[in-house]
Amino acid sequence: MGTPVGWKVKPYAAIIGAGRTAFGEQWYKDPEKLLMEAGIGAVESVDSGLRRREIEACYFGSFLYQATNKLGLVPGYMARELGINIPMNTTEAACASGGSAFYNACIAIRSGMYDVVLVGGFEKMTDRSTKIIDDLMFAADPHEFDAGFTFSGLYAAMMARYIYDHGHGDQRCTEALAQIACKNHHHAINNEYAQFRRELTVQDVLKSPLIADPVRLLHCSPVSDGAAAVILSKPELARKYTDTPIYVVGSQQATDDVSLCTRESLTGIKATRLAVSKALKETGLSMENLKIAEVHDCFTIEEALFLEDSGFYGKGKAWEGIYESYESFNGSKHIPYVKDGGELIVNPGGGLKADGHPVGATGVRQIYECFEQLRQGAGKHQVEIDGDLDLALCHNVGGTGGIATVHILARDIP
Amino acid sequence: MSEPITRRKILVDYRIQASRCADCGRTYFPPKFFCNTEGRRSRMNIVDYFHSKGTLISGSVIRKPTNKFLQLSSFISGIFSFKEANVKVPGRITDYTLPDGELDITRFIGRDAVPRFRRLYTDGSQGLIYYSSLNFSFDDDYYPYQEYVKVEPSNPSGHPGIVGYGVYLPKFRIKNEEESGLGVKERTVPFSDEDTTTFAVEAGKRALIHAAVDSRHVRKCFVGSESTPYAVKPSMSTVCQALQLGEEYEDGFLSGGIDSQFACKAATDLFIDAAALVAYSPFGGEYVMVIGSDNAQAARNDPLDFTVGAGAAAFLFGKRDVIATLDYYVPYTSDTPDFYRREGQKYPRHGGRFTGEPAYFKHVVTAMKMILKVSGLAAKDIRFVVSHSPNAKFPYQAALEVGFERDQIEPGLVVRHIGNLYSGSSPAALAAVLDMADPGDRILMTSYGSGAGSESYIFTVTKEIYKKRERSIPVRQQIENPHREYVDYNTYREWKEMI
Repeated sequence: MGTPVGWKVKPYAAIIGAGRTAFGEQWYKDPEKLLMEAGIGAVESVDSGLRRREIEACYFGSFLYQATNKLGLVPGYMARELGINIPMNTTEAACASGGSAFYNACIAIRSGMYDVVLVGGFEKMTDRSTKIIDDLMFAADPHEFDAGFTFSGLYAAMMARYIYDHGHGDQRCTEALAQIACKNHHHAINNEYAQFRRELTVQDVLKSPLIADPVRLLHCSPVSDGAAAVILSKPELARKYTDTPIYVVGSQQATDDVSLCTRESLTGIKATRLAVSKALKETGLSMENLKIAEVHDCFTIEEALFLEDSGFYGKGKAWEGIYESYESFNGSKHIPYVKDGGELIVNPGGGLKADGHPVGATGVRQIYECFEQLRQGAGKHQVEIDGDLDLALCHNVGGTGGIATVHILARDIP
Repeated sequence: MSEPITRRKILVDYRIQASRCADCGRTYFPPKFFCNTEGRRSRMNIVDYFHSKGTLISGSVIRKPTNKFLQLSSFISGIFSFKEANVKVPGRITDYTLPDGELDITRFIGRDAVPRFRRLYTDGSQGLIYYSSLNFSFDDDYYPYQEYVKVEPSNPSGHPGIVGYGVYLPKFRIKNEEESGLGVKERTVPFSDEDTTTFAVEAGKRALIHAAVDSRHVRKCFVGSESTPYAVKPSMSTVCQALQLGEEYEDGFLSGGIDSQFACKAATDLFIDAAALVAYSPFGGEYVMVIGSDNAQAARNDPLDFTVGAGAAAFLFGKRDVIATLDYYVPYTSDTPDFYRREGQKYPRHGGRFTGEPAYFKHVVTAMKMILKVSGLAAKDIRFVVSHSPNAKFPYQAALEVGFERDQIEPGLVVRHIGNLYSGSSPAALAAVLDMADPGDRILMTSYGSGAGSESYIFTVTKEIYKKRERSIPVRQQIENPHREYVDYNTYREWKEMI
């Protein structure tokens, strides 16, 4: 089921170009150089050409640059690197920094303030890797830090409660949460930029070292360096730059308590639920209309929770859907989640788990991925489905759910 | 962490402070200025969960901790719910050693857990030490939950004495593999997040529960120790803040006190001062708390390394509902350099194997004999005799020399099972005999502090003791607790070295 009949929507903006770096350890590159590499890549990807001076503003997303690289004033660095003196803003929203920067840029375009803006996300996590576990806890309540929690520990508490509430002692629940990692690694095999391009088996995941029981090493997304960037324009100007713009038809953000313990539920992300429902409502779409989704799988449990928070699977039922989808898959490329005969391919490039998770870059990388997929430009990991690949959703979460952004992209608009 | 941030954290973390809407009852942790439901004009009251019981609703085993927690290696962090207010807090499971292999955390979900005042981490060896009550041990484990119920006090008896006490002994023990002739079979070992200050808070908490008095009426607190975590900064102020001793006034408390130091009699020396204060009208308070607390120090393989224990005993002195009146007091002091630790040195030194004859025996026996003389009592008039217990042999010999017999001495020799608690030694022995004393019993307690001095006290037990007994966790019960856990020598040294 593609776009619904009589579908009408006013797009926020059009994506006319996108670029990214490889994700992984980038020993020889400063953070601003990574961002420049992705930004220039985005500029040069614009089919009809884009001059630097046509960019009227920049929106950057990053989380830890002050701690990992002891730098601030990102606009100043980027003014130097880009050689232009336009308005620039940096958004910090933990792992949703990229998604939030993109959200702000959409507002700016829709407001009429700018015609063309650049959105960039970056993170340099390996430069001070001995303290990255501590630094990531900036996105949690200090009481959670003082309770000894790490980020993997917090997600492990969510996973434990999910297994307790919904697994009912069924080993398949545990296996399903491992299959998410296997699926995303499988998707990354042909992604030239991905940090990990190797297959995993369920046993690989379930025998990997324990990090925060029940979370094991291979349930976790990696520590990564990297950047991604996209160019946004006014929708009505998009075809001046490319014949195949991708439109942002839904753009939503929602927030919740920074601390996991004070939220309504440990087995659902309220911010995701709110942002998805608002994005679907404003576009008149349902989850069944979507063919692909970039989902924030920082830990595999998060992808399972999204499938429930978005309504794709019922509450407590995602693990069964994941298990049945994985076990029944007999293709060779992308492993879809199956529901009532429909299919949704999640994280076609490997997601955070395999593509990598330089946190501030992730939200923009998700946009990049969907942009390429909808334009049939994803190369060897291009999604191939029956019918039109015309809609995609990007879901970016900050912290353990203190913020979520959801964007819906469309290849065609009415 | 900066000092201002630390102060703000203390206000919330020591008591697990939350705010509750006076209109709808919704409770928030950490505290908020207004209720989300009732709006900005809602009236919010500060509440805390220091004396509450929570339930683990989920958690995980942290195997790759943040740098601040590396010293704890692996542990369980969890989310706990306080049922009475539907408020959830994060916390760490303490007093728990992980089994080998994966732990199914879901089997812990739903277990009740009790807040424990513990050390979180330190800013290196020179920076601040951070404490919190957001640490929990399971209610069905070593220390069960105890409700803090305040009972309206009766009229003053006119004769001051002990109104309540509490003993805190860590869950962990080490066995002495060889019998040294000193009679110490096993000893208490602090868990890796415990120190003298945490012992003092837990013992003081128990004393308040046992006495059932309102902590606002405790106007002075003395913490005697020779292993305080800070060279300069009192444990007493931490105890005061955590237990809310005295009337609260602008985030502080209208109470005073000090840390005291006189080797192992740092606390007991102040029993007489505590009793005197509550009888002195300008003091203006009802109660004085005296705590003897030590993570007894000894260098590796020093003879003391096979007798030292860890823990604290707290005593509340007052004039109302007294369980044991303080009737006689005799101190005795001389400058005897038998045992000492210079500033900056980690472990104490001692002149001989146990510096018994010219130091311990001289002072203890003199004080005991003198108090019998002053009181006009004979050994047969005393039901229990307890003394500072560096081992089980010394207090036994001293008491025999003065004329006491085995059945008067043996009940107080808890050192056999808990080791030498230094400043907590004779207080813990006193508590052990109070646990079994009957109205009318006289107890002779003699402390000893190297350097050197002793003081003897004679207490007379009143009928009030029966009314409060059910609120105590007897020392013997703690000694025999089936949940106690034994560690090997290396673990004992590792945890002890963390102070």
